[in-house]
Amino acid sequence: MPHLDAAYRFARWLSHSSDEAQDIVQEAFLRAFRSFDALRSADAKAWLLAIVRNCHATARQQEQRRGFVPLPEEPDAQFGAETLAAAPDPESASAALDDKRALDRLMAALPAEHREVLLLREMEDLSYGEIAAVTQVPIGTVMSRLARARAALKVKWLEEAKGGPRAVR
Amino acid sequence: MQCAESLRIQAYFDGEVDAISAADIERHAEHCPACRALLGDLAQTRARLRRDLDYPQAPQALRERIARTLDTEAAADASRAGDASRVADASRVAGTARAAGAPRPVGPPRALSSWRTRPFWQGVLGGAVSALAAGLAFMLLFTAPRDALLDEVVAAHVRSLMPEHLTDVVSTDRHTVKPWFAGHADVSPVVADFAPEGYRLVGGRADYFGHQRAAVVVYEHGAHVINVFAWVAGGERLPDLTTRSGYHVAFWRVGNLQYAAVTDAGWDELLRLVRLLRDLGESDAR
Repeated sequence: MPHLDAAYRFARWLSHSSDEAQDIVQEAFLRAFRSFDALRSADAKAWLLAIVRNCHATARQQEQRRGFVPLPEEPDAQFGAETLAAAPDPESASAALDDKRALDRLMAALPAEHREVLLLREMEDLSYGEIAAVTQVPIGTVMSRLARARAALKVKWLEEAKGGPRAVR
Repeated sequence: MQCAESLRIQAYFDGEVDAISAADIERHAEHCPACRALLGDLAQTRARLRRDLDYPQAPQALRERIARTLDTEAAADASRAGDASRVADASRVAGTARAAGAPRPVGPPRALSSWRTRPFWQGVLGGAVSALAAGLAFMLLFTAPRDALLDEVVAAHVRSLMPEHLTDVVSTDRHTVKPWFAGHADVSPVVADFAPEGYRLVGGRADYFGHQRAAVVVYEHGAHVINVFAWVAGGERLPDLTTRSGYHVAFWRVGNLQYAAVTDAGWDELLRLVRLLRDLGESDAR
């Protein structure tokens, strides 16, 4: 199933929850499957991620209508634990884990619209045009958001390095 | 301190600029400390994100759940659809899907290897989707190259209208123009001066397109330039008479040579020249 991992990752960052991400992705695949446009799509990945984003937005709207307030997100220890188990020596593993947790925190602190362009560009390797299509904004906006997101992340990360005991490489 | 070029630097970093701009930006960065620092920051941020950010895979359970859902959907789909009506319905289905919130696909069709045609549910759907995909493939195979050819010919015409680009050999004498092609192009097209008919031969040029050096004979009709391209015919089918970006384009073929004439003159003027050239070419070939 092509792009399932990318769809899942993106949905997870949007929803901050693995369960909700899974529901969103399933809905997105179903919508994608029902649309014949998939056959003609030049870039199925960007197209699928756009559907994931729509599904997430729809889910949010429904929650709000029902007056449902989502719990504050819990940092998910699952992936950190995997890293810990896989690494050869425990000391470097815990250092790596610290780096990962710090970065997760920094990313979570970014405004959603900044986080999303950063993820699509750096992690999913989408072009500006594809990001514009996924996020439904003009390319110029993609460029300026991306620049602001990168600068903000860098600033936060330097602040953290100054305040914390661990130097950021 | 941020340089006004910072967005261009970023675009360069993200591989979003062409080679010429890239060279330009590299020159700028050599002399701009702020931009050099920015490039360093961008690389550092990317490296950190790619090293440390969670990059989880979808859980196996999700994979299985979606597979089951789509299987059910596909089975329902297949029993609903007749063979031919399936294709006819395609545009309508696409339309409703879009209305349901699916966004438009990005960009023009480039690749056919859509994920929907992958083996996973190809079997499930039976022939319906693969037949449709094959139909699309067929259409694209035979329309895309013709469009590309058209684009290339029109682009070459527009290029030729820029100062100093029209002709490599300037002559109103076909005995000068025709031998010139022997050393500069891969083909030797018909060349004639139709001044009495109103088409003045102004010269020749070699253009590289379609992976060969095409010969271009340049005529003037009043104030209008007509470029006549000639190249060795491949198996491609020729487009019909077409107007692209305001230029009229006519294609024809004589022997193993493919011809295209492009102009901003009217259709009548263009087709008269085409007739003259074709007649001449055919009597030449005999």
